[in-house]
Amino acid sequence: MASPTTTTPTLDEEIETLQAQVSSLKKQIRIQTSTLIASPSTRQLFTDDFSLPEDTNPFRQKLVTQSAAQEAHNQQCLYRTCAGITTFRVRDPDPNAVEGRAVLGLRIEVVSRAKFLRPYYVLLNRPYPESRTRLRLHRHTVPPCIPLSGLATRHLPPPGRRQDLSRFARALRREIVRYHHRMGVVADLRKAAGLGRKKKKSSVGDGTQQQLLVDISPADAEAKQISIDWADGRTGRLVMSDDGEIVKLVALGEHGRDREAVRELLGGAVRVDDVTRRLAMG
Amino acid sequence: MPRISIPTAARLPSALRVEPSNPAVSKILSRLSRTSLVSVALDWLDDKNLPLAAPYLHQQANPDDSQDDDGLSDDDDFNPPARSLAALRELYGDLQTRKGSKREVLDRIIEGDWRHGLSLYQLAMADLQYLYDHPTSQKWSAYRIVALKTPSPDAADNDSHHPQEVDKESLTIPRFHPSTFLKSLQATVLPDVKAHYNFDRHKTLPLLLLRIFILDSPYNTNLAVKSSSGATSFDTSRTVYIAFPDASPFIYISKPQALSGSAPAGGGGTGESNSLRTLIVEGIPKALSRPRQRFTLKSTNLSTKNLEELLDKRGSARTNSAGGGWSIYADEKVKESPLDTVLPSPPLSDREEAPITKKPSPPSREDEEEQRTRKRMRLVAKARFGDSSLVDDSKGVERVDIILEDAFPSVASTTKRKRHQSGVEEEDNHHNDDRRRRTKTGGSGRKSNFEVALGDDELHGEEEAEEAGEGKWTPNVRLTFHGSHVFAGIRQLVERGIIDGERMPGWMTGEEGVTVGAVRNGRIRGHKGAGL
Repeated sequence: MASPTTTTPTLDEEIETLQAQVSSLKKQIRIQTSTLIASPSTRQLFTDDFSLPEDTNPFRQKLVTQSAAQEAHNQQCLYRTCAGITTFRVRDPDPNAVEGRAVLGLRIEVVSRAKFLRPYYVLLNRPYPESRTRLRLHRHTVPPCIPLSGLATRHLPPPGRRQDLSRFARALRREIVRYHHRMGVVADLRKAAGLGRKKKKSSVGDGTQQQLLVDISPADAEAKQISIDWADGRTGRLVMSDDGEIVKLVALGEHGRDREAVRELLGGAVRVDDVTRRLAMG
Repeated sequence: MPRISIPTAARLPSALRVEPSNPAVSKILSRLSRTSLVSVALDWLDDKNLPLAAPYLHQQANPDDSQDDDGLSDDDDFNPPARSLAALRELYGDLQTRKGSKREVLDRIIEGDWRHGLSLYQLAMADLQYLYDHPTSQKWSAYRIVALKTPSPDAADNDSHHPQEVDKESLTIPRFHPSTFLKSLQATVLPDVKAHYNFDRHKTLPLLLLRIFILDSPYNTNLAVKSSSGATSFDTSRTVYIAFPDASPFIYISKPQALSGSAPAGGGGTGESNSLRTLIVEGIPKALSRPRQRFTLKSTNLSTKNLEELLDKRGSARTNSAGGGWSIYADEKVKESPLDTVLPSPPLSDREEAPITKKPSPPSREDEEEQRTRKRMRLVAKARFGDSSLVDDSKGVERVDIILEDAFPSVASTTKRKRHQSGVEEEDNHHNDDRRRRTKTGGSGRKSNFEVALGDDELHGEEEAEEAGEGKWTPNVRLTFHGSHVFAGIRQLVERGIIDGERMPGWMTGEEGVTVGAVRNGRIRGHKGAGL
């Protein structure tokens, strides 16, 4: 009875590790292929061979097209990495869509914690028959805490006023990046205050330094306000400006406003980052 | 109970006890299942809730307001009061593990442990428990909180005819603070209406629920809940739920009565209770506003019983205005880093998923041809719907009303029939019953039911011949889609080739995110894509 119970898990484990190996190897292959196929020397090889009259090898044909696709993709990646905002064209699946179903897509890259997030997309169409070049917001994946509609009415108004797509795109990207920075600031603040993710760290924090703050969290959709809870029951609200400056910090204790706590926490800080630094130092 | 009750504008206190004989109490409690009932009772006995839900204990420590039934001796009491809280907790814990009837628990609560009355807080908890048990018991309408422009209060629909109306549309995102909101909401309610408010965090969804229990009484003391007036004023229709999704400028308001009309806060309600609700609903934007920052609620034409759908279409995520096929852009799980140079597979090539979902078809004698068309239809469905509208994604709307305002297609290969009277749905042989019922009301009082075949031609209707002569005849066509998950049903019809996925208008994919809409030129009118 003991033998099957001991062997089956190992067998399962073995299968699992093997499968993991397979998938990682497959991934390796894909990465290597993509690097190889787009490397200048390989491409040189292809073009050289094309001097032969009408190549009949279907594999080579395939390789050539794949190489071209890979190169296009590499270029796109390069633009995306460097430019922050890129555009692309989409065909609206709706057969009744305006303007021959043409849709212009904006792809807005966001980097957070040293990683590229899934980009935000804004898809624009041209619904005004009287002025063909005018764009209007069609679809988007921007979260509602970004004032997209306000920006759109300012920079992409309906016929009558001038539209400015690049200003729109820049303003939108600015808002999005700001938002992510503010979220990042809150996360940094939490880290500096010894608040790991979700209670796990708190016991460790108790050991090294006595926990002064028990909770720091964004209090509104835009993450412009941060609510702070002290260990002794005081609560506070920090209002942050668009760019991370401290607009106001109010702390409430048992006997009304607690200016002492505010001074203690801020200590002349102007930006929220300064508070983070102060907290991190101890 | 205080001797004198003065009419005030204050809200009903949570600790206010309602006599257990009140029909509303048994109504609210008996809706719950046995397990929920026991768990609610245990919640009441939790230390957090105890101050507002104290049970009737044996003699000592019993509160003053239970004087009226102290004549009862314990001996002939079926449900003798417990000696201590611990004992009571144990008792309910016991009930939880043991099998038994619901009646037993109900009696225990009403006649035993809370014989001195259940506080409004307790009733609110029980009601919320019902909402958790039956998540689709309320019909919610989503409203957008929009900043109000100062001069014109009525700029309801921002169609392109009023370019000057398009305000600078402030870049402010409405901010919501529960207690402040409640305070100002209270201030807007008239003194002859009393309401009890209870906030609760939804257990699974990122929502804050506010339950407003409206009583038609000038008093905020026991007088308000006396059973003499209770029978009428304690009506479940007077309970209004408001849900505040996290980090999202929307608000969902429940519609207790199954009113089919879409007119929300604007038109005064018919019934009295309805007008009370209207009063509350009108107070909401005022309560959200602050000096020099006014907001109003704007209907977003989406109402459903499914909170998850609401959170998907009017929530805080990326999916709000990327429905249908556009949902591929909103999927956060897709990794799309520009640093990853591996050539991505095109969105429709189902490299990984094909074997899992549909492959189990045994290598039967199915024609290659048919296989291919089947696959193609599936791909078309995927192109139109993306990853949305799957049968099991639990994000379904149960009813969609569409008015077609398009002119009658002149080139339609219409088979004209006189007085076509059948009007039967025939496509609901699918388990997700998508029945389409079309009713048409002609201008001159003629009424006829007719069916529209969504076949190889676009929506072409069979209609009465005599009027079709003019070029621009526009019949008044209303479509109502009904079912447990309407758009998933349409997706299935596309997958099976009953609807031509490529010629299907976009609003049938649900990408507009509305449940009420008018279609002109094949598109939902007024609702311009992103809903701006």
